[in-house]
Amino acid sequence: MTASTTADASWQRLSIRVVWVDVVVSVISLLPGVIAIVVFGVEPSLDALWPLALVAVLGVAGAVGDILRWAFTTYRVTPTDIERRTGLFVRRHRTLDRDRVRSVDTAAKLRHRLAGLRVVTVGAGQQTGAGESALVLDALSVADAAELRERLLRARVVAPPVTEPAPGVEAGEAAGERSAETDTDDADSVEVLATFRWWWVVYNMFSIWAFLMAAGLLWGGFWLASSFGIDLFGIVSRLADWEALGWLGTLALAVLGAGVLGAVGLGVTFLLESGRFELSRVRSGDRSYLRTRRGLLSTREVSRDESRMRGVSIGEPVLWRWMGMADTNVITTGLDVWDMSEPTAILPRGPISVSRDVVQRVFGVENPFDVPLRRHPRTALRRRLWWATAISAVAPAVLVAPALAGVVPGWAPWAAAAVWPVALLAAVVAYRALGHAVAGDYLVVRAGLFSRTTSALRRDAVSTIAVRQSVLQRRLGLATVSAMTAAGWSAYEAFDVPADGAVALAADVAPGLLDEVIERGEARASRMMGS
Amino acid sequence: MATHDTSEHQDVRVRVPLLRIDRRARLWWTLRNLLLCGIPLAALIVAAVIWEPARVWLVAPIVAVALVGVAKVGVEPWWRYRVHRWEVTERATYASSGWLVVEWRVAPTSRIQTVDALRGPLEQLFGLATLRVTTASSYGAISIRGLDRSVAQDAADRLAIVAELSEGDAT
Repeated sequence: MTASTTADASWQRLSIRVVWVDVVVSVISLLPGVIAIVVFGVEPSLDALWPLALVAVLGVAGAVGDILRWAFTTYRVTPTDIERRTGLFVRRHRTLDRDRVRSVDTAAKLRHRLAGLRVVTVGAGQQTGAGESALVLDALSVADAAELRERLLRARVVAPPVTEPAPGVEAGEAAGERSAETDTDDADSVEVLATFRWWWVVYNMFSIWAFLMAAGLLWGGFWLASSFGIDLFGIVSRLADWEALGWLGTLALAVLGAGVLGAVGLGVTFLLESGRFELSRVRSGDRSYLRTRRGLLSTREVSRDESRMRGVSIGEPVLWRWMGMADTNVITTGLDVWDMSEPTAILPRGPISVSRDVVQRVFGVENPFDVPLRRHPRTALRRRLWWATAISAVAPAVLVAPALAGVVPGWAPWAAAAVWPVALLAAVVAYRALGHAVAGDYLVVRAGLFSRTTSALRRDAVSTIAVRQSVLQRRLGLATVSAMTAAGWSAYEAFDVPADGAVALAADVAPGLLDEVIERGEARASRMMGS
Repeated sequence: MATHDTSEHQDVRVRVPLLRIDRRARLWWTLRNLLLCGIPLAALIVAAVIWEPARVWLVAPIVAVALVGVAKVGVEPWWRYRVHRWEVTERATYASSGWLVVEWRVAPTSRIQTVDALRGPLEQLFGLATLRVTTASSYGAISIRGLDRSVAQDAADRLAIVAELSEGDAT
């Protein structure tokens, strides 16, 4: 399907290769069953083959559905709009104003790359959570995708959008398609900020998810093997003399084995997903984007409009802080922080030194992360210790009555109280994470127990300011200042700053906003913040 | 538009918002908390009476819910009535709320996205309404509860007019 110059008004189909890919997919999904029967001589009954039958049915059904979708989907680009019609039973017609197009990104899974296809996502700055999705064309040929992208993006440079909704910029360009991309890269200026280092894999192998991964791998392997008539369980049970090990040894070995298997699985997943990672700043016309590309087999590219960026946050997971593990995210409007594919992450999980380095280059000269943070008063530690004690007391308190009645052993409340020292330790860790500063145009706050997160938020992005104080905080002379914003996690808080400096900090965070409501010096009308 | 250095102006205070909420709010909160705590408490007690083996496990929850209920019915409405205050000016919406945790919020009019006067079923019973002012931040909404219905509606209308006059991105 070649895109002609007169295509402006005519409806076009998606690439015919989508159909061929679907045919191949359905054939491949039938293969495991056929191999099991022909090569391994498995008896063709539903009992033995149901996992493979399921794979085949799902694969063929998916492919047929996809072919129907191809047959009923058309799109066209007019001088003012991009339109798409789709749907077999429910016809949907979407029209997108070309002026509102924020991003045209292309992504490819392995099957797309093999067939020379690209999934094109046209982002129109849709608000996350507004139920509005980007316009997706799945899939066009590489040439058509490049052409469409070029046309829509060039149009935007000529006529910049008037409305200013948040951008939902995401989805990718195949890294394998260097030739098609070099043209656009030449037109734009590209500054590479970070590239993939293979040893980052170390930072991505150790996680509690390793055990889930191992469970999934083992379960899948067991069913697959049993379909081919191999008893995996029997093999494992013959590997060692489990009787001699005892249940403790068996358990330890199982945990260790699962951990290693899971860690290797996570490592491989990381390499596949983040291989060939590259973070760069792309300047196109008067706009600049932070663009990440990653992926060995399926590729993904996310461009983040820098005019939408409101700051950066670096998170350091508590268990791995000793090895300097860090997650680096941008605080930006229009990207969903809950999205599993983490569009806000501008770096894979990796060493904090790299993270700080990249943040330095993103911010340029005025790096808010350079400013030393103000420590919070010791009373903040006391507040955390009180809370740790109170929370630790809940379980023993619930157990007291049953223990007295003899329903549970007498030592049960004491055993439940054993979490107390751990809770106290957590309180100290949480206290040590606290810090804040106002640095140039940015508010910098640091907090967090499980992940100590340092966030720098642009002060002019603050849309609501709040100061709150609990009864305990009032006794300890503390207050919490919250800066609400449209970007990122929506609220960035400086927990437990000194109460007498809280209003001044709030006024600092949002300059001018509090002018009407603050009083200085001896005029103390406030009942709420007063002593 | 002065920026203040935190260390130098330690004695900066906020004044309280100008307006009080409606007196009927106390009744509303009392009834609401009676329902909120009374129903679980009744359920727990009924469970303890009927279900003999669970009785020892229900002692702590019943005591806890009863204590919380006494505080929420006997103390919270009056305490809240003292704390809750509000004002809406051309430039900003300013409100204080809470009881055990007291909070004040300021949202500039230029960032306001929606203004609503809401009425829940219990609020309707007392002729009350909640004025809700939202900004682009999902946590940034200011809810001014316990206003007289007409007062809330007037404020919402006034604010909607003012907010539309201020141009800007609002993010």
